[in-house]
Amino acid sequence: MAEGKVTWMSQAIPHQMEVDEEDVARRKEFLEFGADDAQALKSLAEIARKYAEPVIDEFYEHILASDETKSFFQDPKVLERVKRQQKEYFLRLTEGDYGPEYIANRLRIGTVHERIGLAPKWYLGMYAFYLRLVGKRLLEAFSADPKKAFSSFLSLLKIVFLDIGLAVDTYIHAREATMRKQQEAIRELSTPVLQIRERLLLLPIIGVIDTHRARLITDSVLRSIRATRAKVVVMDVTGVATIDSKVANHLIQTVIAAGLMGAQVIVTGLSSDVAQALVGLGLDLAKLNTAGDLQGGMEEAERLLGYRVVRDTDGATGGARPA
Amino acid sequence: MPVPIVKQGDVLVASMQEALTDRALLDLRDRLSDQVGRFRARAVIIDVTALDVLDSFATRTLRGIAHAARLRGARTVVVGIQPEVAFAMVQLGLTLDGIATALDLEEGLALVSQPRREGAGDGR
Repeated sequence: MAEGKVTWMSQAIPHQMEVDEEDVARRKEFLEFGADDAQALKSLAEIARKYAEPVIDEFYEHILASDETKSFFQDPKVLERVKRQQKEYFLRLTEGDYGPEYIANRLRIGTVHERIGLAPKWYLGMYAFYLRLVGKRLLEAFSADPKKAFSSFLSLLKIVFLDIGLAVDTYIHAREATMRKQQEAIRELSTPVLQIRERLLLLPIIGVIDTHRARLITDSVLRSIRATRAKVVVMDVTGVATIDSKVANHLIQTVIAAGLMGAQVIVTGLSSDVAQALVGLGLDLAKLNTAGDLQGGMEEAERLLGYRVVRDTDGATGGARPA
Repeated sequence: MPVPIVKQGDVLVASMQEALTDRALLDLRDRLSDQVGRFRARAVIIDVTALDVLDSFATRTLRGIAHAARLRGARTVVVGIQPEVAFAMVQLGLTLDGIATALDLEEGLALVSQPRREGAGDGR
């Protein structure tokens, strides 16, 4: 027991999911899973071993009969291995010890299900089918004492629901982890600062700007100005549908701060809605240097930097193009 | 230690190396104002690269230096404001109205050596 405590608590998944001994105890208490249930389940161990093989076989017949669940077990070798593990899994239900090692094992299996893409509906459906099979066998085994069969079944139900609770939590946990990772990725991708000419930066902003993102934008703009020695920054907000007063203020502050660092910011692509909202907010817009669209902003930026873009009329580099 | 003022041609360069006390700031203001006239300087560059904070008094003194220098015939450029400092100043509402700013000393020198032209940040 003692060593089980050390190993399972230190595993990443229970730790991240905040499933500790206290949590497990609360779960068991809520299910009213007590020592008598553990005892009752343990007394089923012999019956379970006797029926394990036929039950598993019937169970897999059912799984393989359905297209959705069949696809998980295409390789016969995999099928053999999974069957063996499944047998262990079910036998484990009647071993009478539902301590930390048991919990860790259940969490691990939930994680595996999530990873191979076995949706909870199939997991639950399979468990329900299994319970039906076991229920039938229990009635057969205790044909002389149906009451005992039913009470054992209820004990089994409790431990099964403990299992299901843990498995569902691992599903949710895995999804949440994926979502967090994606949000992180979006955040990183969302504030690119591109150098398109020497001393000229382009900052295309697309999507919703919240306070957090506005702060990221400020930070990366000011840092990029220093890193690339930029003199002009074109901030294109064509892809921004709405701006609230807090964010607008923040962007204006960014523009002024860039000015303190010797760089000029040209804001382009303010949509009609955003422009009217900004006016409506009564913000001090005199400090914003704007251009109608990105092209206008680029032309203004090039003018400020002294660039002159000349079209190559000879068409020597493939410029020949119908007028 | 007083802020060293280096004369380079007709440009005066004052480079702040550490956070200044209010007294040292006022001392810098007086000496710059004096030397602008003495050396017939055309421009003053104040380098704040080493500073990680510019408070309201420092900002006000910088404005004072710039305005006084302008009255005596020189323009002032503040260079090297760090990103964090710049944003903190804006959030606190500290502005350098009417003073030109540039990224670093090199930019500042380039700015004062060219004929007056709109374009570079003017510290609005």
